[in-house]
Amino acid sequence: MRFKFLALAAGIIILSLFPIFQTNTYYIHMVERILIYSILLFGLDIVVGYTGQVSLGHAGLFGVGAYTAGILYFKLGVPFLIILPIAVIVSCLFGALLALPALKVVGPYIAMVTLAFGTIIQILINEMTFLTEGPLGIIIKKPIIFGFQTKEIHYYWIVLAISALSLVVINRILKSRLGRSFEALRDSPVACDCMGVSVYKYKVYAFIISAGFAGLAGSLYAYSEQYISPNTYVFELTVLFLLAIIMGGRKTRLGAIIGAAIVITLPQLLGDVKLFRIVATALAFVVVAGSALLISKKMSTVRKVAVPVIGTVGLMAFSYLIKNISDWRLSIFGFMILLVVYYLQDGIVGFVNNFYMRIFSSKKSARDQIDVGNFDKDDAIISAKNSSAPDQLLNLKSVLMQFGGLKALHDVDLIVKKGTIHGLIGPNGSGKSTLINVLTGIYVPTSGTVEFSGSSIVGKVSAKIALSGIARTFQNVQLFNEMTAIENIMVGLNHTYKSNLFEIALNLPRFKREELAAKQRAYGLLKFVGLEELANEEARNLTYGKQRLLEIARALALDPNLLLLDEPAAGLTAPDIKELLLIIKKIKDKGITIILIEHHMEVVMAVSDVVSVLDFGQKIAEGKPKEIQNNPKVIEAYLGAQTT
Amino acid sequence: MDIFVQLIYSGIALGMIYAVVAFGYQLTFSTSATLNFGQGEALMLGSMVGLTLSNLGINYWLIIPLVCVFGFLQGTVVEYLGVRPAIKIKSEFGWIMSTIALGIIFRNFAENIWGRSTFRFPGPFEDDPIKLFGANILPMEILVVLGAVSMMLLVEIFNRKSIYGKAVVATANDRDAAGLMGINTGLVITFSYALSSLTASFAGVLISPLTLAGSGAGGALGLKAFAVAIVGGLSSGLGIVVGGIILGVSETLTGFYVSTGYKDVPSLIILLIVLSFKPAGLFGKTTIKKV
Repeated sequence: MRFKFLALAAGIIILSLFPIFQTNTYYIHMVERILIYSILLFGLDIVVGYTGQVSLGHAGLFGVGAYTAGILYFKLGVPFLIILPIAVIVSCLFGALLALPALKVVGPYIAMVTLAFGTIIQILINEMTFLTEGPLGIIIKKPIIFGFQTKEIHYYWIVLAISALSLVVINRILKSRLGRSFEALRDSPVACDCMGVSVYKYKVYAFIISAGFAGLAGSLYAYSEQYISPNTYVFELTVLFLLAIIMGGRKTRLGAIIGAAIVITLPQLLGDVKLFRIVATALAFVVVAGSALLISKKMSTVRKVAVPVIGTVGLMAFSYLIKNISDWRLSIFGFMILLVVYYLQDGIVGFVNNFYMRIFSSKKSARDQIDVGNFDKDDAIISAKNSSAPDQLLNLKSVLMQFGGLKALHDVDLIVKKGTIHGLIGPNGSGKSTLINVLTGIYVPTSGTVEFSGSSIVGKVSAKIALSGIARTFQNVQLFNEMTAIENIMVGLNHTYKSNLFEIALNLPRFKREELAAKQRAYGLLKFVGLEELANEEARNLTYGKQRLLEIARALALDPNLLLLDEPAAGLTAPDIKELLLIIKKIKDKGITIILIEHHMEVVMAVSDVVSVLDFGQKIAEGKPKEIQNNPKVIEAYLGAQTT
Repeated sequence: MDIFVQLIYSGIALGMIYAVVAFGYQLTFSTSATLNFGQGEALMLGSMVGLTLSNLGINYWLIIPLVCVFGFLQGTVVEYLGVRPAIKIKSEFGWIMSTIALGIIFRNFAENIWGRSTFRFPGPFEDDPIKLFGANILPMEILVVLGAVSMMLLVEIFNRKSIYGKAVVATANDRDAAGLMGINTGLVITFSYALSSLTASFAGVLISPLTLAGSGAGGALGLKAFAVAIVGGLSSGLGIVVGGIILGVSETLTGFYVSTGYKDVPSLIILLIVLSFKPAGLFGKTTIKKV
């Protein structure tokens, strides 16, 4: 942490002294553009790196920022310091306009929709000549600040200051609950919704924040270039931004800066064909030699290295065939994208990190360690005893869940009493998990009523239901894999925060207080399930049994009235099961009602107050564990009918 | 009024081209859940290769199969370089970026080979319009509609009747299960890309006599065809025909009554609206997510 701070300070000092020693405005301007691109890339990384969506609309948002600045300057003569915030707000609005429809869909759809949006923006800039001057473009002079006419060098310092500020703000956002939510929704959208963090809402947030940075960069760019015209904000620019992000490395600010530096300097570097030939030849030699080495050491096969070898040798041959490189610029970018996407997936920063870790075999996780100190919190779990919920906490009446012709739940009535452990058993495919999915809003029942705490939850979205007090675990563990154990729980604690984006960006006291409280509670919850030693371990590195416990702790972070445990003992060893039983009993002691789905009969029978049995979507029996064990219908469902 | 009907006719012809390209999206999406973001460039390459052949003096009717062969090969290349590695590492980001990259490369090559200007593509008919319901229609427009529909029907018949087509359908239904049944699903995916590019280049040869051929034509076309695929639904054959006609007609009408600069806007806005209210498309089925 201290090292990072020093590096940042050193970087800023070097960059601010740079124009004093290097007086050539060409280079000053180049660094300035790198800084501006970096601002945009910080924002783009939120969408691409953290939430894992592909946006092809960022050139459009960049254009919105630039043209907001241009139009306000040209038509109304608004001063620079007022233009900047307006440009940010306008871009945020455009971002929202795009995000609201686009983020209802997933994957390739988002890419295409954002592409459509970018295209519309470009058409509008071109056609709305009364506002944008169309293809003629707008000329903008360097800003006058408090009566002082800035020159290139002053503007450079302004850009440097704003980009440093952006870096700090972005870092704070990404380290806060917002950043955690963004990562969580990428790792497991379902779990995220069931932790009360609405995937849709947070995706839209991410997009809007990202758009704001794009707009800021755009407005700075307008003043930097002093001329804006529609053919800058085209598809190729969007692709260039994406190339920069993946080449530099996702989820790191340094990666964004490196990426920006590459895409800006590369066209200059490749300006003359001779240099390009040298680079291509060197690259081909490195790849061929490297592949030969790998094959000779049997670390790779001829088939595996064939594509990169043919590709780079082809590039070398290509470099000697062409005469004018600027005509082939886009092909070279395309080629770089292919190379990066398949052979440098973690980007330059990720590659160096991995390399470093392999050399020094350091096992330290790349993630920030959350220092929890020595908090001892016994009341990490909020007791539900004093809740005003009615005695019949959950009341299902003739619930029908139909998938096409299949009735996964058929006329199911179920009453769960407050403070009890309600076992739910049944053979495979009897509808137990479907029931849980109905209760958490993942499925909307075809008909019937579901009342929780006296109000209907049918048709409510998962995040709402979760916040109203129903928490769950999943049959196939759904943790946020790339986040640490304590971060996983803190996603569940998202509902405890009241601080907004500005408090996060400015690191105000209320936010700091809430963050500390959340850390302490998260640590307390980890302690409750016995995972405090592993607080800073990434969830995917935990053993299966520990992952299940972590899921329970995460669910408890929601302060639920009702906890749905979907096969918590599946795959656990005997000592782990003993531990699990203790934990379940302790949860019950806190007054939290539990629905327990389980195939381990000894677990169900040991802790349940009431057991319901499902078979083929219908409830066939209900009663005390003892009664159920001797119920002939239940025995028949599990073992088949006697053939006498 | 005559003008209006005429605009509808040319809108339908244009829409059928979008439908054919959208059909190409459907083909690859069904087998591998991936799309070629450079589909528009496949169309552009088809028309440019067709133009070159035409300049060599080859008859239009002979150009069509030759361009189809070219498209088939182009699609194979795209799948092999751009999609196969991404499917292997299960990276959605990977195939999106690499098909975009390949699209850029193709366009850049086309720009360097044929230049950036647009060319007239000689069609097989005279440009004398025929009267139909009181408005003029070009014979070429009729050919476009017939050609587009028969191309889609041919592929459908192939998929339904031949054993190879059944392999395609099986892969579309469940790739893992098809693989376990001994179907080479990798080959099926390659084949679907080849077919997809084939239909796109075929569409390029069909539409170019009506519009113009040029190396910059691909991007917007690919995007609008995607809009058609979404509006119609990625799984509905009828949907893309209806969607194509809606978008094609809205485009010609806007181009005439508003301004040619805005002609691409309505399709994109329709796309955004459909996605907001019915993401599965007008004719698509909403799928249920499983946990």
